[in-house]
Amino acid sequence: MAGLASGAVLKGLGVGLNAVAAPVYKVAPMQSLPAWTKSGQSAEAEKTALQGAIAAVAAHLDELAAGVGGTSAEIFEALKYLLEDEELFEVAEGHLAEGWTAGAAYGKAVDEFAELLGGDPDFDERVKDLQDISKRVQANLAGISVGLELPSTGSFVIVGDDFSPADTAQFTPAVVGVITLKGGPTSHTAIICRSRSIPAVVSCGDAAALENGDKVLVDPVGDRVVFGGDMSSATQAITFVDTGRDPIVPVRSNIGSVEDARKAAEAEADGVGLFRTELLYLSAQTQPSVEAQSASYAEVLAATPDGPIVVRTIDAGSDKPVPFLNMGHEENPSLGVRGYRLIVEHKQFIVDQLQSLEFARAHTNKEVWVMAPMIATATEAREFAELARSIGKFKVGIMVETPSIVTQIADLKGQIDFLSVGTNDLSQYLFAADRMNPALGLLLNPWQPGLIRTLARIASESLEAGISSGVCGESASDPAFAVVLAGLGMKSVSSSPSQVKAVKAALSAVTMEDAKRIATEVQKFSTADEAKAYVLGELAALN
Amino acid sequence: MAQFSLEVTVLDPIGLHARPAGQIVKLVKESGLEVSIGRPGEEFAKANSALRLMALKIKTGETLTLEVEASDEGTAQGIAAQIQEFLKG
Repeated sequence: MAGLASGAVLKGLGVGLNAVAAPVYKVAPMQSLPAWTKSGQSAEAEKTALQGAIAAVAAHLDELAAGVGGTSAEIFEALKYLLEDEELFEVAEGHLAEGWTAGAAYGKAVDEFAELLGGDPDFDERVKDLQDISKRVQANLAGISVGLELPSTGSFVIVGDDFSPADTAQFTPAVVGVITLKGGPTSHTAIICRSRSIPAVVSCGDAAALENGDKVLVDPVGDRVVFGGDMSSATQAITFVDTGRDPIVPVRSNIGSVEDARKAAEAEADGVGLFRTELLYLSAQTQPSVEAQSASYAEVLAATPDGPIVVRTIDAGSDKPVPFLNMGHEENPSLGVRGYRLIVEHKQFIVDQLQSLEFARAHTNKEVWVMAPMIATATEAREFAELARSIGKFKVGIMVETPSIVTQIADLKGQIDFLSVGTNDLSQYLFAADRMNPALGLLLNPWQPGLIRTLARIASESLEAGISSGVCGESASDPAFAVVLAGLGMKSVSSSPSQVKAVKAALSAVTMEDAKRIATEVQKFSTADEAKAYVLGELAALN
Repeated sequence: MAQFSLEVTVLDPIGLHARPAGQIVKLVKESGLEVSIGRPGEEFAKANSALRLMALKIKTGETLTLEVEASDEGTAQGIAAQIQEFLKG
């Protein structure tokens, strides 16, 4: 195409270790809906059209529900209730009688109900659902497609702004590579592609110039897309030879469910570095009893690999609400009442959670460590440590996500046993960059010198305070970055189950001496690109 | 047919939100009865529309009046009991 010469390089952030070459399939942003107008047809004809559109959207929702099953299916079921609401239809009929087209009449009726429900935080999500339904009905009437329509056969690299969870759920086997113009390394797209081993390059703004059918090489290791490139120009991932040695620091796994625990055990992780407990609660309408919680925890613990199991107490917030904790709406959920801060209103819930973990620990005889998320002061850390020790035989620690607690590690000497750095949130708070904002991906790149130097400080101060430090953020799933973390003095890393093997291989291929040297040198670079290029160069030379 | 007036109390911590509203509408439609719900002394909403019920913005702890058109009091009480169940959260 015009503007891009064969071999042109489009920079972005790579996700995964494998490259792929395939033609581009552009996912176009949805066409805009037609403006609302009066109809040239009879109200009766418009009514028939509206009924047809509602039925078609209902059938589509049924299809989506059948595809996902379980709790997610209930979401589509609830959407259907709204879609087929009788009064909504009656209000729309009123607008039809005034001569509006079917799409306009339905859109206006939804707006009126949205207005009635508006201003009440309990209904914010329902108002969004209503508007989504309205969009679907209007799009159906206008013959515009909503959502992804991806080819189901062939092999394509799909290119789009960013993909939502609803979008990624529709990825077909024909999607062999993904490029997003926006979205960072911790975006939903990146996380899904990493877990499904789909090569991806995110934050690749120049990919806007690509056209359908263009042949491209998605080269995640090189953090780039090559226009017209083939596999021969793919940047070789550094392959670490399995030396049979133990990794220089233990490689644990992040888990959230029994299934994850099994995968971690299969990957021979050295225990679990982050057990996210939210999944047990997000779909519960009432607080599960201590007995039920204990049983769930025992089931997960029984499936985990040998080694310490680090459990994070609930990390909910108004953007990740737990129905029975009744959280209000917040303007800035990531800066609001979340994680450990819930203890003010919901202390009993956290006590019950720790109690349940203690029962599960005693029952399974596992080594359980507990930690609290979103700790901002030494006082909070002490309170949590005291509470946890009064309830069970745990090692006790905190998540390091706020810049404030980084400055107080020395104050925690003798008070906590360990700390675990959540690099995703630490980056968000350090760079004042919303993780959910797809335009800020480059700031959340773990190779940013600001993050690496902060990690260096955490590791050295933990060492002085006699506190064991680890990293459980996405960055610890990157084998090259894991070498830096070990070299900085982190005592363990924790990766997603699919990355445990690759991280273990990297950490067994280097010596602690090499890792320390690399970690010292990398702090001298002033840009993320230079820092990463230096480390990859050094690792390639070692192998 | 006679009209019966009964009371229910919203115990769900989120109030009368989408899920109970949807359950009530489904139940009322299946029963074939005419049911209206509202705060005493205010305008009532017909229980054939979850959106209309949600728009009442009823919060936890409120007591509501149900007006049920039914052939006998037992039928009316039966449906009120089921609606009360949905409002327990």
